[in-house]
Amino acid sequence: MSIDFASKANREIFQRIREISGQNPELCMQCGTCSASCTGIGKMDFLPRQVIRKIQLGDPGVINCHSIWVCTTCLTCSARCPRGIDVGRIMEALRVINLRKGNEVLVMENIPTEVKVEVPQMALTSGFRKLSA
Amino acid sequence: MQILYFPGCTLSTKAKGLDITTREALAALGVHLCELPRWTCCGTVFPLAQDNYIQMVAAARLLATSASLGENRLVTVCSFCYHVLKRVNHAIKNNREAKEKINNYLEENYSGEVQPVHPLEIIRNDYGFNRLREKLGDSLKGLRVACYYGCMLVRPPGEMNFGNPDNPTIMEEFIAALGGVPVDFASKTKCCGSYQILNTPDLVANRTKEILASAAASGAQAIITSCPLCQFNLDRQQEKVADKKNFRQIPVLYFTQLLAAVFKVPLDKMGIEEHYVDPRAVLKEI
Repeated sequence: MSIDFASKANREIFQRIREISGQNPELCMQCGTCSASCTGIGKMDFLPRQVIRKIQLGDPGVINCHSIWVCTTCLTCSARCPRGIDVGRIMEALRVINLRKGNEVLVMENIPTEVKVEVPQMALTSGFRKLSA
Repeated sequence: MQILYFPGCTLSTKAKGLDITTREALAALGVHLCELPRWTCCGTVFPLAQDNYIQMVAAARLLATSASLGENRLVTVCSFCYHVLKRVNHAIKNNREAKEKINNYLEENYSGEVQPVHPLEIIRNDYGFNRLREKLGDSLKGLRVACYYGCMLVRPPGEMNFGNPDNPTIMEEFIAALGGVPVDFASKTKCCGSYQILNTPDLVANRTKEILASAAASGAQAIITSCPLCQFNLDRQQEKVADKKNFRQIPVLYFTQLLAAVFKVPLDKMGIEEHYVDPRAVLKEI
């Protein structure tokens, strides 16, 4: 199936990514500093640099990438980006667009009981705020 | 000196040791913490979406309550709480829409006048590292300590203002003032994997393995932190290391536990039963 990159629905998605993140992905020059610094890359399907590239190219599939759910919002990417892009905010925008549609990854029933009992409360609050709808 | 204190939820449950030793250690330095009345959770994470003001409300209420008590500073030690309070305060100060919406919701008139402060800043700015060195400079007897900051204390640097985001030094200065040896520790601002312990536990296993290896390579006898989640991840993951023969366990302490040990707070009052790697051998030496 071919993707209509220029369709109205697609343009709206990218407008929302810009609005919610407050960032301009066009500034990215694909240097890869974010990817080299990223905590989660070992478990990601696309590197942070590639996520930004997908946005630049207008690929609506970016919304469904797994990487956004692996991000720990450690903000190393944001602190180091030589173009001043707060990459963490772009990852959050992609998560938020999903969460507001009810697409979530963290479900209480799927967390092993011993983990639920052991972890500090802050892990549960932060995890559910970032990863559940 | 008395100063208002916000413990946060994890400190009254899973990280009691951090709460007790913060109070005890600061009291020994003449700083008495008064608990903020009717406090709630701070929200734990700062919302990174521009339009998400509701997730700032909890922290804003804590700050507004502090202001209504006539205080201009609020101490908090947990890295997450400190991060959220500081960033929400920054938003209220610098973003007119955030200020208006949050104040309308809370029926308050708060404009960012309370400064969230970390106990390390209190020790450095109010007590002074030089004074600490004069009075307690022999206390740690050369203990080799890896100072672990993680993410929340230092990033984003423009808002947190906690030193160089890749090479903060306040914990090292603290350890050196007490007569310890802060080791060169390349992973000091790497993320431990944080709340991904719930969703991608393998990630936490990999990240903590790297951080622990880096601390071990530098010859650290202990790792210190101010974050209950970093402490949990770095400490408990040591239980899961498969190759126990070639792995040296390192106790992961709160920096306040070291200071409490300096002031001879009894070990059974420090909450060390919460730790997987037994820190008693290290603490008894102090």
